[in-house]
Amino acid sequence: MTCKLQDARPDWKAYALGELDAAKRREAEVHAAACAGCQEELAAMRVTIDALATLRDEEVPRRIAFVSDKVFEPKWWQMFLRPSFAAGAVVAAAILVHAFVRPPASADAAAIEGRVAAGVQQKVAEEVDRRVAAQLSVAVQQAVTKAVADTQKLDDQRTAQLLNAAERRYSESAEILNKQVTQIYAMNTGAGVR
Amino acid sequence: MIFREVEDRDLIAKARRGNVEAYNLLVSRWEKRVFNYLLRLIGHREDALDISQETFLKAYQNLPKLDDPDRFSGWLFRIAHNEAFSLLRRRRPETELAEEPRPADINARMLPIELSLAVEGALKVLSDDQREAVLLKVYQGFKFDEMAEILGCPVSTVKTRLYTALDLLKATLAPAVLKKEVVRGEL
Repeated sequence: MTCKLQDARPDWKAYALGELDAAKRREAEVHAAACAGCQEELAAMRVTIDALATLRDEEVPRRIAFVSDKVFEPKWWQMFLRPSFAAGAVVAAAILVHAFVRPPASADAAAIEGRVAAGVQQKVAEEVDRRVAAQLSVAVQQAVTKAVADTQKLDDQRTAQLLNAAERRYSESAEILNKQVTQIYAMNTGAGVR
Repeated sequence: MIFREVEDRDLIAKARRGNVEAYNLLVSRWEKRVFNYLLRLIGHREDALDISQETFLKAYQNLPKLDDPDRFSGWLFRIAHNEAFSLLRRRRPETELAEEPRPADINARMLPIELSLAVEGALKVLSDDQREAVLLKVYQGFKFDEMAEILGCPVSTVKTRLYTALDLLKATLAPAVLKKEVVRGEL
């Protein structure tokens, strides 16, 4: 069965899908009431859509990861896109740029800084020399005193040894001389000779 | 419905300000619809889950780019559509070699589960574009202009795909039912 309106018949698919406005719906319904072909077409479309509607939604087998889950964490490069990070980066860049492009200090200031640094360095060197010299002087004095004392002691010991040795040799010589004199006298006088 | 849309807009605004819980609530609210759309479009459960995940991840990352929070649902399905067709294009060579699915026989005394299986079979016969048009219209309830935005094509193209799909589905699903019943006074 066909509709006498042919291509001008109502859009029954749009009708069944709820896409027609109120005026067109009413117009289509008036036509369908007297057209068996359009009734059949609309019925077939409704059956089809009703059959499609029997398919039920399935539950999600496992939940979709949430923002707080690992999968939603931004990648490292996405950290640069965050407003707070970007603002920090801009401030850091401004500081760096200022450090590199700031105007140089005046020559006078540089000269003063140089003189002050040199003076301080010289004073420090002098103080170091003074303290080192003082400590060295004490040490040398102590060392010399000790060395002199040791030498004096050794000389005294050596002198005493030499004196004892001389006295011993003198005593022995005197004794030998006395014996010789006694023997000569005895030979000349015959006394005491056996 | 209006109240729900207002709530979504409010959640989007909060999520844009860094409120994690607001976005988590959006995920909870939309995950079932997105998953079922992808499941019927792709026909593979694990792939549908993975792409659902990718969809919500990209939506979160691009939330600041959403011009009109009132169009969140269409924008979200646009992302899901792009992800799904990216996958379908990658795996098309192997599916083209596979045997064409055949719709199940329909009769008026089918049990609901049998009818559901028949519908699934009939949907598989459609091309990806045709099936997606049916999914967005019949199951997700989008208007023609919203579908055009999601699919990135004119409304006329949307209608062509949808109407062709409905004619194919009608040829498969309706005849047996109509033979058993004399449909009169439906209006």
